[in-house]
Amino acid sequence: MLASWLSPLTVTPLFAVALTLAAYLLGNVLFRRLHNPSWLPAILIAALLLAAILAVLGLPYDTYQQGATWLTILLGPATVALGMPLYQQLPRIGELWKPLTLCLPIAATLAACYALALAWLLGASPTLLASIAAKSVTAPIAIGITEQLGGSVALLMGALLVTGVITIPLVSIAARLLKIDDERIIGFALGLNGHAIGTVRAFELSPTAGAFASLGMSLTGIFTALLLPLAWQLISIAS
Amino acid sequence: MPALNGLLWLISYWLIGEVVIHFSGLPFSSGVVGMLLLCATLAVLGRVPSSLAAAAQPLIALLAMLIMPGVVGVFFILDELAGQWFAILFGLLLGTLLSVITTLWLLKRLIGHAHAR
Repeated sequence: MLASWLSPLTVTPLFAVALTLAAYLLGNVLFRRLHNPSWLPAILIAALLLAAILAVLGLPYDTYQQGATWLTILLGPATVALGMPLYQQLPRIGELWKPLTLCLPIAATLAACYALALAWLLGASPTLLASIAAKSVTAPIAIGITEQLGGSVALLMGALLVTGVITIPLVSIAARLLKIDDERIIGFALGLNGHAIGTVRAFELSPTAGAFASLGMSLTGIFTALLLPLAWQLISIAS
Repeated sequence: MPALNGLLWLISYWLIGEVVIHFSGLPFSSGVVGMLLLCATLAVLGRVPSSLAAAAQPLIALLAMLIMPGVVGVFFILDELAGQWFAILFGLLLGTLLSVITTLWLLKRLIGHAHAR
């Protein structure tokens, strides 16, 4: 049920754009007020705020989403833009190329396979599996992958959020258990498993951790984007 | 207008990616193809043009906001997940725990303590 003053506003996409900007900025302010809690990232606060606003206004999600397309269209060029930090980190990749090229395919494959196998064992439907397969991949790339696999993008976003948020405490606990204090390893693990959310966290730890996190994030994204759709096709042909 | 110049670069690479995918039939997203092409171009150039950096940096900083409309969508499909949310949550939680441990352990073995700072 739309309030009468609201209906003229929803005709223009600028209303959805304004709501998104407002929720994003407010989410960031609240995040800083709460002293940057690692278990409650700014994006989660902002998304909850936005969902609450939509519910209170009675604005259907589809109407909102249509307007917000004016923002989300920028995800395309933003993904291309990730080529810049990737280029800037090429020397670092060269430095550690041996361990990284050995670790990345295994770790990135397992990141997808563990979750898929567990969800499959518990009887998740094929659409559902297709939606969570890219759970450790940074959002702009993951959306492309999920659309190709025939999954639900909304569900993928939820999976990304959950994965990103829990990666942060899990990495710090696991690093303590394994007695790892090398910032490069911790950063790489944060980016590989926790995509952009983990990378933001790594930059809070140190610039080195941040650089390795963005490296882990981009490499996982590229590796998964190149291989997951192919692997998926092979599996569906075989079954 | 350096930022606008850079934005045209980014959009052009995305469009090139779209064309490459259309003709090759490869199951990749055009953003990924554009990203790899951009990285290759920069490697050939040997530097990042300032106009490109002016457009790329703010866009990367805004990534979180650009994915927000999609994230919000998950709150509106909760009903459709009836009966399956446990499988998803369990898969994500335990799956991520296992993969975090695997990654850390693998890297520790591969890089080793010798190089630790």
